[in-house]
Amino acid sequence: MTNSVDKAASAAQPAPKKQGPIRFEAIIPLAIIAALVALYFMLFFDAHLRRGLEYVATQANGAEVNIGKLDTSVWKASVVVGEIEMTNPELPARNRLQVGTVTFRMLWDALLRGKILIDEASIVDVQVDTLRKKAGRVLPVEKPREGEGFSDKVLAQLQEEFSGNVLGDLAAIAAGADPGKQLASMGVDLKSGAYLDGLQKSLEEKKQQWQSRMAAMPGTEDFSALQRRLASVKLDNLQDVAQLQASLRELDAIRSDFEAKTKTLREAGAALTGDLDAFKGSYSELDKIVKEDVRSMQAQMHLPALDVRTLSRALFGMDVLGKMQQARGYMDQARSYMPEKSEKKQAVAAPERRRGRNYAFGKPNSYPRFWLRKALISSRLSGSDLSGQILDASTDPSMTGRPLVATIKGNFPQQGISGIKAELVIDHTTSVPVERMVMEVGRYGVAGRALVNSPNVGLGFSKAEGAVKFTAELREDNVDVRLNNRFTKVSLETRAQSEVVREMINASVIGLDTVNLDAHVTGTWARLDWQLSTNLAAELERGMRRYLQGKMDEARARIETMVNGRIAGQRKQLQARQGEIEASLKSALAERQAQIDKVRAELDGARNKLEERKKALLGAQQQKLKQGTDKLLDNLRKKF
Amino acid sequence: MTLLLKQLFALINLLNSDTGTNQIAAGFACGLILGFAPMLSLQALLVFVCLFLFRIQVGAALVSAFFFAFVAWLFDPVSDRVGAAILETEALRPMFTAMYNMPLVPLTRFYNSITMGAGVVSLLLAPLVFFGSKRLILVYRATVVARFKSSRWWKMWTGTVFFKWYATYDKLRG
Repeated sequence: MTNSVDKAASAAQPAPKKQGPIRFEAIIPLAIIAALVALYFMLFFDAHLRRGLEYVATQANGAEVNIGKLDTSVWKASVVVGEIEMTNPELPARNRLQVGTVTFRMLWDALLRGKILIDEASIVDVQVDTLRKKAGRVLPVEKPREGEGFSDKVLAQLQEEFSGNVLGDLAAIAAGADPGKQLASMGVDLKSGAYLDGLQKSLEEKKQQWQSRMAAMPGTEDFSALQRRLASVKLDNLQDVAQLQASLRELDAIRSDFEAKTKTLREAGAALTGDLDAFKGSYSELDKIVKEDVRSMQAQMHLPALDVRTLSRALFGMDVLGKMQQARGYMDQARSYMPEKSEKKQAVAAPERRRGRNYAFGKPNSYPRFWLRKALISSRLSGSDLSGQILDASTDPSMTGRPLVATIKGNFPQQGISGIKAELVIDHTTSVPVERMVMEVGRYGVAGRALVNSPNVGLGFSKAEGAVKFTAELREDNVDVRLNNRFTKVSLETRAQSEVVREMINASVIGLDTVNLDAHVTGTWARLDWQLSTNLAAELERGMRRYLQGKMDEARARIETMVNGRIAGQRKQLQARQGEIEASLKSALAERQAQIDKVRAELDGARNKLEERKKALLGAQQQKLKQGTDKLLDNLRKKF
Repeated sequence: MTLLLKQLFALINLLNSDTGTNQIAAGFACGLILGFAPMLSLQALLVFVCLFLFRIQVGAALVSAFFFAFVAWLFDPVSDRVGAAILETEALRPMFTAMYNMPLVPLTRFYNSITMGAGVVSLLLAPLVFFGSKRLILVYRATVVARFKSSRWWKMWTGTVFFKWYATYDKLRG
């Protein structure tokens, strides 16, 4: 039945029409798809690109970036981006930068080669620090990756060191806090105590080792055996030279055994002296650890050092640290986009799974993947007068042979900023990447800038005029950053809970109308040498010393006494135990030494005796020989 | 998704019919090239254009592209070596330099060791896959399909009313 159905079905079906290899019926769908793509580019592409750019720029800026308009033109190969607003992450209600219009015109010749070449771009109507209509979104701050920038530990240390807590602690002391009072209640585990415990343990271990070594060394029995052997050597009634020789040989053998045994003891004696000296040397290390304990307790009790260096760091350290972090961030970004020049002609990137290696077959005049030849920056908005240019921003500067150079100069009178001059050079044309920046601001207004903001005390500029010069050179991993900041017409603002503290700070800074800050940071990113000095710190140090020196010296002395007191018993006990062990070991060695001396004396005595006997026998023989010779001569004389 | 499913059903239909052997085999060969090429590249676009313009079974191409993409992933180290060897050949450098600086050609990403290696391997294997799959399809039809159609279950199924309805619908739908 089924077969008949199949047959019926196949018989009913007409023979399929033979179709050619080209799918003509797909032309209409293809045309529709092409039209849809074109429509997408006409209607939606700009909006999607704008949102994509906003997202990327927000990530890079760390706070919301808005792009008001974006127009692309396929035929002109141009992009016009307008109304760009970059939120200031520290002040989300304001823009860090606002740009009127950015116009890029690309070359189709380069685009068809899969590269972007912008011959000339313009960035117009640049403004800084403008008010936003709505506060911008700020992204959570990402911690720098391990091994890059400052590690968490280094950063935490620097932040602690540079934070304004130092001044707060000093203010607390000035306000009447007695750091010494906390001593009694502090249950601090002293490093010196632990060190002494370690020494005690090590001493007991040494004692065990020495006891085992002493047990293995030749003892009374061994030397008694040697004495017995010595007693059996024939020293008297030696009849002839042969007997004498035999006794001498036996004596030499005993001497040799004796020397071997005494050598072990001699060595042990020297080693014991060395060990004891080394152990005594540990006490000088203990003194260092005690000092460390004292410092650590000072830190715990918030008893900072009162010197210009510490105060300078507390006042301006965070500012400089922030600038260093910024410089590092920009450097990382620049280096991630711009490959360093390869030694080889063919640039071969590190192989990666699914990525492979990219080979460059560029001719001297070919294009890098991205090359912005020239961008002109200008702004005439709101009375501002800004001009500048960016030259040769490319992904392969070694190919173009030109470093990125960005210069800018101008004024923003509305924001009270004038005399801006900046030059940035990112030179990746050689095998050593170098980034240089010189930035000067002739004048800018400062208002309500806090330098120290701790619960006990606050200090800041209520008003000042600032001028700054910042120079940075980053060469491979080496850093050389200088910051010279000068604040004039300074009006300082102090806040303190205690009247004494307020008086102390005010007295310190009275008449100060100029504040200078000189910072110089050198070294490598992993090991930076921070040199900060400011006349504000010097003034504060002078003023505060008058109030605080006595209290701080007293507190320090109390800490030292407390630390020494805590370990005194342990130290005394250890020294007593060490003396006991030393005495016991030395007495055991001395006992053996006495036995050695006795055996040595006996051996020397026997040797002397045999030598005398030898001399006597030789004398007798010589006499006998002489007599024989005389007799022979007499006989010969008689014959002749 | 509907389009994809439609293509897959078309592939199954075609596989089980007596026609379209070349279309399916060409689909598999195109799928090989597609699977070995980077997703966003000029050569992938060219293959898609071919799939649209020529009578190549799209379902076969997509299924095999999916499969060969895994194979290509496994063979990345091999492709990397092959590509590197080709790209580092001194005699070919002038040609690559010219290609590198030509319009459009760099969009193939030929200068990447894996793309070059995988591309060359896929082009070499494409004829083998075409003829191999053609033979396999014939063998499949002669053994699996024929045996299945002569099984009792199939005969029982084709005897049902539901199947008759479906056969009528299929005939009317064309």
